[in-house]
Order: sequence, then C-alpha cells, then structure tokens
Amino acid sequence: MASAAAGSAPSAVERAIQRNLKGLGYLASSAPVLGASPKDVVLSRGPLRLYHYHPMTDEVYRVPVLLVMATTNRGYIFDMVPGQSLVEFLLLRGYDVFMADWEAPRPEDRALGMKDYVEDFVGGSVAEVQRITGEDDVSLVGYCMGGVLSVLWSGLNHAKGPKNLAVFTTPVDFHQMTMFKAWSDQRYFDVDRLVDTLGLAPAEMLLTAFDMLRPAGRISANFALLDNLWNDEFVKGHRMFDRWSNDMLPLAGEYFRETTKQLVWDNALMEGRMKVGGRPVELDKITAPFLHVTAEHDHIVTTGASAPLLGLIGSEDKEQVVLKGGHVSLIAGPNAVKRMWPKLDMWLAEKSV
Amino acid sequence: MSDTPDFDPFGMARGWMSQWEKLVNEHGTELLAKPEAAQAMQAMTGAAMQMQAASQETSAKLLAAANLPSRADFEALGARLGAIEATLARIEQSLRVVAPDAAPLRPQPARTRKPPSQS
Repeated sequence: MASAAAGSAPSAVERAIQRNLKGLGYLASSAPVLGASPKDVVLSRGPLRLYHYHPMTDEVYRVPVLLVMATTNRGYIFDMVPGQSLVEFLLLRGYDVFMADWEAPRPEDRALGMKDYVEDFVGGSVAEVQRITGEDDVSLVGYCMGGVLSVLWSGLNHAKGPKNLAVFTTPVDFHQMTMFKAWSDQRYFDVDRLVDTLGLAPAEMLLTAFDMLRPAGRISANFALLDNLWNDEFVKGHRMFDRWSNDMLPLAGEYFRETTKQLVWDNALMEGRMKVGGRPVELDKITAPFLHVTAEHDHIVTTGASAPLLGLIGSEDKEQVVLKGGHVSLIAGPNAVKRMWPKLDMWLAEKSV
Repeated sequence: MSDTPDFDPFGMARGWMSQWEKLVNEHGTELLAKPEAAQAMQAMTGAAMQMQAASQETSAKLLAAANLPSRADFEALGARLGAIEATLARIEQSLRVVAPDAAPLRPQPARTRKPPSQS
C-alpha cells in the first residue's frame, strides 16, 4: 500500500507543479489564431461575409458546398485551427468550400429582417457561388439558425433549391425550446419595445440567455480549466471554445423581432404557417436529399425542438442522425472530428458529382 | 474500492464540483423556467431600456445644444455610407456579369472528382 501511494504521489505533485508553471504561461500567452484557412471574401453585404476557401486538392467535386453559419456566432467554429477545422477537412476531401459568415450588424442594419437574411443573404450567397463556380448545383449546409435560414430558403425556392441540404442541430418546434419560450413569454417580454429602443438585440443579452441554460456552466468550466492547466491539449481546446462562445454577435432588430414573433411565439415553421416576405415556406415541397444531424446531449436545441424537422421535409431521400455530443461538440473538437465530419463527408461525396 | 490515498487536492474537489454543477443546473433551470423568473428578468430589462432611452434623449439634447452630432446623426451617416457601399457592390456585380475576369487569380482545380466508391 505504501509503495502504491508513493507511486501515485509523483504524478499528482507533478500535475500541481505543472499547473502553477503553465498557469503563469496561460496568463502571459496570447489566444490561438482561429479561422485562418486561406480564403477570399467574395461577397460583402450588410453583416454577411461570403468566403471562398482556397482549394487544397488538384481535383474537386463538381458540386460546391456552402456552409451557412448561425447568426448569433462567428463562423470560425467551422475553421478553428489546422487539424480541428471542418473547412480544412472538407477541402482535403476534395470539396470546393464557401461559407456565409456574419459580422456584427451596424446600427443602420436595424431594419434588416428575415426576408433580407433568407432571400438576400442566403439566396445571394447561393447565386454568387453559382456564378463563381459556373455550377447550378450547390450543396447547402447550415448550423443551428444557419440551418433554419437554409431550410427557409429551400422551402421558398424548392423548384430551384439546393442540390443537397444538410443541417446540424436545427430547431423547428420552437415551443419545445422551453427555456427560451419561458423567457420570451408574451405577457412579460415586449420585443417591440426592445427593438424600437435599442435597434439591435444586444450580444450581451443573448450571451446571458445562453449562459442561463446551464447556470453552473461557466464556474465549472473555469474549475475544469484550473484542474487541467497541466494538460496542454485541454488548455488549447478550452481557449478556442471559450473565445468562440463569448464572441457572440448582436442581431439586427427586425430579424430578432420576426424570429421572436413568428418562430418562437407563433411556432409558425412547425405549424406550416411560416411566410418570408409574404411568400409561404413550403417544407413539404423540398425534394433535395436531406440530412439532419442532431446531438444527443444538446441543451440549446433539444431533441424535441429539432426532431420533427425530418417529418416536415418533403424529400424522399432524407435522414436524421443522432450523434453523441452537445450543441457545439457536435460540429467542432475531437468528438466532431471522429463522428460528424466523416458522416457528412460520406453523405455528401456520393451526391456531389 | 482502492485504498490508495489520493494526494491530488483537486481529486476531492472534482467530485464535489461535479455534484454541485448537476444540482445547480437542475434546480437553477427549474427556477429560471418559472413565469416569476421571466417576469423579473423582463422587468429588469424594461427598466434598463427605459434608462437607456432617457439617457439617449438627454445626450441628444445636450449634443444639439453644443452643436455636436448625436448618435442618430452618426447612424444616419453610417446608413448613407452603407447605401453607397451597396450601390458600389451592385455596380461591381453588374461589371462582373458584363465583363467576367479574363483569368482567375489562381488555377482552378478540375471539377471531376469522384467519390471513393466510384473511383
């Protein structure tokens, strides 16, 4: 017993020493550079930035891929660092990759609404991808609200919609997002007053709402960092994800108002009453092959909110896959590298020729 | 169960933290989902907005008195610049259609790749 105790002591002591040494290094070092894959900005319109990544193979699939990022966060979650970048993974697998990313809307962007995001930003990005590649076919891949925008655009343009439609953790039954529903209760939440007063929905407000979904999350994450300061890989991962999750974007006022009223209060997408710019969104008329990847432990877009989407999409070739992980670890980090990325590649490759 | 003494001070804290996190998350979300919590949160948001609106109004009056541009003036200027940018983007877009680039900046890969199952 004494020898076993003596055997376990050095590693604990060593960890304690490393924690102190590396803790100082952590405070002194700069954060890792994220989203650095070589790219061109090919379209810049309001908060939209459309990137075209430089191909990494001599031969690419005929059908280009357009990633659509969630409007609340930055797109570098898809392009963290080499080896942990979905963009790099897709480029190395031979795809021609574009991404619709977002900058913070400016005060004068307050009037941008759902129609602008769906028709002008997603639709405009698709048109630009078609122009640059000379291909009519485009695969659309959306994450969270980026998935909602992709689905809305496809439901408006089913005749000339995407060649393939893949979405990750995309909500459709907003009444199942119980916390957000409770906090935006019409009896207490005056969205008109908020938008009319502030113009934009502040990023701090959105960040607080996301934090409150797991009230202990921030403290336990900091404890885990302290505990694992000796572990370089853990610290690197923590820094990347911590920076990304705190780097939230404000939302254009009208877009926030319409999201709250149509999607959250009326649950219009789920009920089949959703209209964008006066045109009905017809999910049942979407015919493109459809893939929905959801996360088993997603605390933001719960299974109840995302699962019904599959049944609403008209495509014959459609599939929902539930993978281990949470809302973010589904798409980035070691879990995503192992599970989601290969699944996406397998599904897309056959449909991209 | 091992009888090896744990020399890592973080060992015990780890277990405690895990239980605390579970407890706080469970009860915290339960509490925050109650209508009273939503009401309190929105009351605070409302008060903050009221203060912000009052402060904006006062600032605008003071700036106007000092003959200085207000936030609204800058926003209007920003909107005009945005409109000019949008017009330029439309012109650029039209030019690309009328006179597409003679040659791309980088050599473009062939779009002939086949999936592993077909190659």
